[in-house]
Amino acid sequence: MTSNTNIQNGKATTVKTTFSRETSVGIEIKADAPIVWALLTNASDYPRWNSTVISIEGDIASGGQIRLKSTLDPKRTFKLRIKTFEPERKMAWGDGQGNRVYTLTDRGNGMLSFYMHEKIGGLMFPLYAKYIPPFDQSFEQFAADLKREAEIIANTKN
Amino acid sequence: MFTEQFNQEFEAIRGQLKSYILRITASVADTEDLVQDTYLKGVEKLDSFREESSLKTWIFTIASNLAKDTLRAKKRWTENVTDICKEAAMSNQAFFQEAMHIRMTSPQGQFEIREHIAFCFTCISKSLPLEQQICLLLKEVYEFKVHEIAQIIATTEAMVKYYLHTGRSKMVQIFEGRCALINKEGVCHQCSELNGIFNPKQKLQEALVKIEMAKEAQKADREHLFNLRMQVVRGIDPFESDAAALQLHHLEHNRVVMERYLEKNAE
Repeated sequence: MTSNTNIQNGKATTVKTTFSRETSVGIEIKADAPIVWALLTNASDYPRWNSTVISIEGDIASGGQIRLKSTLDPKRTFKLRIKTFEPERKMAWGDGQGNRVYTLTDRGNGMLSFYMHEKIGGLMFPLYAKYIPPFDQSFEQFAADLKREAEIIANTKN
Repeated sequence: MFTEQFNQEFEAIRGQLKSYILRITASVADTEDLVQDTYLKGVEKLDSFREESSLKTWIFTIASNLAKDTLRAKKRWTENVTDICKEAAMSNQAFFQEAMHIRMTSPQGQFEIREHIAFCFTCISKSLPLEQQICLLLKEVYEFKVHEIAQIIATTEAMVKYYLHTGRSKMVQIFEGRCALINKEGVCHQCSELNGIFNPKQKLQEALVKIEMAKEAQKADREHLFNLRMQVVRGIDPFESDAAALQLHHLEHNRVVMERYLEKNAE
């Protein structure tokens, strides 16, 4: 199990087993949690700041459903359900094949740890594993985009 | 706090309050009502004013709460509002006849590109989510500080910063794509088209050279151009300017068109 206490400074890691694959990335962000949370939960705004997302339709809210198009597989639309929604702390979306979890941890002094983890797998995983592209680069880009955007917002003139 | 002090402050900011509410509701009638309601509510609640903010911030808080609850504020327009309304105007002969009558007879019937830039900002900012529009207006047009805006809309400073940044980014992007004054590829030429109709003898370039934003268009970055646009908006009182009658008539037209458009598309 990957721990989110070890922040990876924006470098993604992937752990593979026969029946699953887990990718995670963590990064320190100098911004308040409400700003990062707002960025993570405003579906229609994603393409403006996140270069890994083509579009997200739907509501990122407790029990909500979204349709996500990612640059990883632009022709495919992922239909995902919001499975965890704890404001300014934790959010998860996923489908039958996997879940992605976002975690925010307040580090004090205006610093925040962002951690993103996705596990895909199941009994049939070995059959389709080779068709799923690696996530590492996309995860690193996601974390870097989030950090850049959140810190720009946090530095808005008062 | 004495009523007399409140009255003085209210009169001092009445113009700003009116234009603020107009920019949220796009309705002259709603604006008149809401300014009156803000005054009455302020007088009624004067005893509860604890001087935790300036009186101006407190009055804007009352006005914002009243305005946010109106249907017209809740109705959000679309980014291509000027296209939709232009198409409707082109098939509405009465609109141009009325506008031309205002142009010829009203002391506030001038057509000025600067005024139209402010008018256009009002229309397009109504395509933003309401919180973003309110934050953007309060910061960029009425020059409130982030902590004051947080008091006005009862949220955290972090959220105000988020609304401001996202609202501003969207507006920069929309104007970059649409406004031919700052981008040769921009799809909207309404300023120059209307100037040609209302000021047929005026040379467009001579009019444009007086507008810093248009002058700087080729060399300045999009953020700076947006700042210059905001400078234009800040300098215009939509009720008192030389073009007020013409622009308010146009705004009423656009509001009616957009209300019909939204109703039709909601079905």
